[in-house]
Formats: sequence, C-alpha cells, structure tokens
Amino acid sequence: MGDEEEEDSEDGDEAETSDEDEPMAEDKKAAEDGEASEGDEDEDEDEDEAVLLDDAESVDDDAVPQQKLEIDNQVALERIRQTIQLDPSLPWTETLALTYPEKIEVDVDDDLNRELAFYKQALHSAQAAQKLAAKHNFPFTRPSDYFAEMVKSDAHMERIRQRLLNESAGIKKSEEKRKEREGKKFGKQVQIEKQKEREKSKKDMDERLKNLKRKRKDMLDNTQGNDEDFDVAVEDAISDRPSKRNKGPEGKARIPRQARDKKYGFGGAGRRSKQNTKDSTDNFGPGAGRGKKGKGGDGGKGGKRQRPGKSRRMAARSKS
Amino acid sequence: MNVDGEQPAQKKLKNKQRVMLLSSRGITHRMRHLMNDLEVLLPHVKKDSKLDSKNHLHLLPELADLNNCNNALYFEARRHEDLYLWAAKTPNGPSVKMHVQNVHTMDELKMTGNCLKGSRGLVSFDKGFDETEWGRLVKELFTHIFGVPPTARKAKPFVDHILTFSLLDSKIWFRNFQIVEKDPLQPNGPPQTSLIEIGPRFVLTPIRIFEGAFSGATVYSNPEFVSPAAVRSLQRREKGGKYNSRKDAEEEQGRRKEMRRLEDNELAVARVFA
Repeated sequence: MGDEEEEDSEDGDEAETSDEDEPMAEDKKAAEDGEASEGDEDEDEDEDEAVLLDDAESVDDDAVPQQKLEIDNQVALERIRQTIQLDPSLPWTETLALTYPEKIEVDVDDDLNRELAFYKQALHSAQAAQKLAAKHNFPFTRPSDYFAEMVKSDAHMERIRQRLLNESAGIKKSEEKRKEREGKKFGKQVQIEKQKEREKSKKDMDERLKNLKRKRKDMLDNTQGNDEDFDVAVEDAISDRPSKRNKGPEGKARIPRQARDKKYGFGGAGRRSKQNTKDSTDNFGPGAGRGKKGKGGDGGKGGKRQRPGKSRRMAARSKS
Repeated sequence: MNVDGEQPAQKKLKNKQRVMLLSSRGITHRMRHLMNDLEVLLPHVKKDSKLDSKNHLHLLPELADLNNCNNALYFEARRHEDLYLWAAKTPNGPSVKMHVQNVHTMDELKMTGNCLKGSRGLVSFDKGFDETEWGRLVKELFTHIFGVPPTARKAKPFVDHILTFSLLDSKIWFRNFQIVEKDPLQPNGPPQTSLIEIGPRFVLTPIRIFEGAFSGATVYSNPEFVSPAAVRSLQRREKGGKYNSRKDAEEEQGRRKEMRRLEDNELAVARVFA
C-alpha cells in the first residue's frame, strides 16, 4: 500500500507540527546520529518508528503482509483530538452524543447475538437520552399530531408492509402443507386404528348379549307373555347407555297420559284453540266472547253472587 | 492551538457543523444509495457532485470551503467494487480513511422502521472507543459529522432515531434505529421504549488516520487491515495453485506408469494364449 499521502505530508503543516512528530527526513538524520538531541520522552518512540519506517521502505518492493508497518502515534492523536474538540461546556442538546458504558464483546460471526448487542446499546442510549432530554427540557417525543415528510415514502412503507404480509402468508401455507404431508404419513395408521376399534365394539356387543342370555335363561325357559319385556331388555343391553326411564320397580305400569297431564301440567292447547268454530260462532250466550270462555256464565251453581255495577251500587247507597 | 470556542465565550456557545458529502467517479448503485441514505438522515449535509479525479484529493478542502462546510465525507470507489470512506475535518484535519463493507441500504425491505426526514438523531458510541487514542479521535470526529447540530436549517425539532457506532473486531459497525415510545399493541398503555431498524447498515475498517485534511503525516495505521485487492489476488492464487498441482500430479502419474511398464516376456499372457 504505497500511500503517497505519507510522502507529501511534510510540506503544508510544518508550522503546526509540534516537536513530537517531526518530518521524517529529520528523524532519519537523528537516527543516524545515534542519540537524539532533544531530550523529550516522546522522542524515543518516534525515533523507533522512524527506524522501522526506514526498514519498511527499503523492503517495500517485495512487501510481505506480516511486515506491515504499524503507526500509532498516541501523542499526535491526542493533540489532534484536543484541537478539534468541542467545548466541554456545550450543553448535551447541541450534540446529542451518548456513550454506552459497556464494551461490545460478542462473537463477530454470530449474527443474532451481535445484532442483539447493538440493539441493547441503542436501547440503553435511547433511554438515557430520554432522561437527559427531560433534564434539559428538550422536546424529545414527537406529538401525535405533528406530521411531516418521512425518510421513507409511503409507497416504500406500503411495499414493506406487503412483504411482511406475504411472508406471513407463506409461513402459514407451508405449515398447512407440512400438516397435510404428516397427515398422509399417519393416514394408514389411523385406518388400522379405526378397524381395531370397530372390531372391539363388535366383540363388546357380543359379550353383552351373551351376558343377557345367561341372565335370562330361566325366563327363556318359560316363554309365556314377556316377549316384549325381553325385547326391551335386549335393546337396553345393545344401546351404549341403558335407558333409565323404565328402570322403576319391576312390573309397575306407567301412569296413564291423562293422569300425568294432570300431575305435571299440559303443554298447552293447540294453535287453533282460539279460532272460532261453528259452535262458538252461533253461541251468543252469557259464556260467549273471547277470553271469558267457561268462566262464570251459568252462575246457577248458586255460589257467589256477582258484584253489581258502580251505578247500581251508588243508587243503593243513596237509597239507604 | 487552543479550543476554538474560547474567544467568543460571551456569546452562547453553539455547535456549528456542516458536512460536505461527495463521491468519486465510478460508484455503483449500492454505494450511491448508501450516500443518498446518509444525505437524507443528516440534514446538515451538503451534497456535491462527483469528484473527477482520485489523485487530487487536495481539492477537497477547497471545495468544502466553497460550500461553507467544516467537515467532509468522501466516498471513494475503486475498481467498481471496493468502497472507501474518508471522514475529515476541513481545512486543518484530521482525516480518517476507512474501508466500507457489508453495505445494506435503507431501500431493503427488511428494515421496517421509519423516521422524520431531518429529525436530529442521537449518536451513540460504545465504550470501546474510549479505550484507544485513535478510538477517541474517531469518536470526536464522528460526533461532529454524524451529530446533527440544532442550527441545521432542515432539522426538525424532535428526536425519533438513533445512530449507533460500535467497535467490534476492531471495526466500526453502524446501525440506525427508530425509537418507538408506544407499544403498538396497546397504544394506551404505559410508554415502553423499543427500537426498529431503519437502516442503512455498514461496517467501517479504519485504515489510516492522517494529520491534515486529505493529506499530512500518518498518525495511525491499522496493521490488521488487508486491502480487498490483496484478498482477491490471494484467492485467485490459491485457485491457480490448485490447477498447477493437478497438472503436476497428472504428469507424475504418467511418468510412473512409464517406469513400471514390464518388458515383453517369453511367457507373457498375450503370447501364451494367443
């Protein structure tokens, strides 16, 4: 790397260069003379470097990478930094510069951890900045009604959004495909399982029937009139959940319909119960009319007398 | 040589920075996009047209002066594939020459963040910069160049992104994140800071630090830096070596075959079973 900048370095800045980093030619001379005339402590370093430089330049034509010259002139670096340094009394809001108090030490090739380390640095700095901003009374958060041009255009952001959507759709699709494939793989097994189950249930049924037959052997012997009874029992045995409805005391008959209606109530008259019939149309008697069917009407049973109307009651009152 | 801001101490101190941004000829689209990204992110940047010659870098301080800039970022493309970045304080230096690698621009769809155009970004450095002298110098320089001063005309008053510089593997890694203060899932919940990357990304390998602006004595050189051209030639040489060794082996095989050949014999198979 023959950098010509190195060569023509001496011309312009001679006035500025302090004694630490002298032009090379002089250094060379000083090295040849042996001892440095100026007794500066930094001088020694520079001389060493100059000698090195000499060696390096002489073999520069067939340069080998490991012989590369290292220059790290601490003193000059520090002096340069001081010349360009911003005033330390400058408030933070002028530069917005922050320092993360930790060193980043991760494996360079480990992309995930490396990016995580950078993220952590940025997050820490952002939070520190929020605190500093609050201290300096510096507007930090953008209000939600402040709109302005963004770095990325709306069209670009739309493209980003579309890509995210496509990506998630792709993931979903591949997931489904995977499931389907797996389903095919296990389809055979499922079929076998089902067959087994069917066989098992059949066996179960046989067992139950056999049990029943054994139980009822005596009954079967005297085949009289309880054929129906037996049928019901068989049904019960076959069905998975034997019905409890008729599990009451043996031989007891059901309550008749009418009695049950009376006891538990009746579901309600049919839809047409309120429709006129031939009879009701012709019926103009005292019991006729809507909603009063069967009520009062023939009070001939003698029970309670009806209360007279208001006018009658008033009249009766005035009389007495 | 004292600190510049010493004399007008009565006045309110201000951080006045302007950066000239330009490139050499022969940059590829990716490099150009990276440059555009930087221009968009830094409102105090003045972009200039491409510099015609790579040998006349001393023109750059003058150009910066013409543009009223006191910093310069110069992208130098070599062989249409290598990109170098010069960051310099004009007119008096210093300047840093760096090799740019792993460039990802903001146009890539993987970076989903966004921020205000011209908002002032935070600049964050990790602690590694403070451990070496050259690191401190680079930090100071980058604070000038990448920290947007409040006086920049195009600057917006709020902060919504952060530029991070991290020193890892003696390289400087650059990232840019958007600062999101509200959780998008519960917009009314407590403010929860999170980050989304905006881009661009790149890695800088410092090569040399010069005393002057685009000139001057070298005050630091990176011994670990191997130029990309050298890397490529090494690779090519290795490939060439593979070919050579194969050819050598083939020749050797032929020679041995010749050596092991048997003389025609009275009892040779071909004669006996003719």
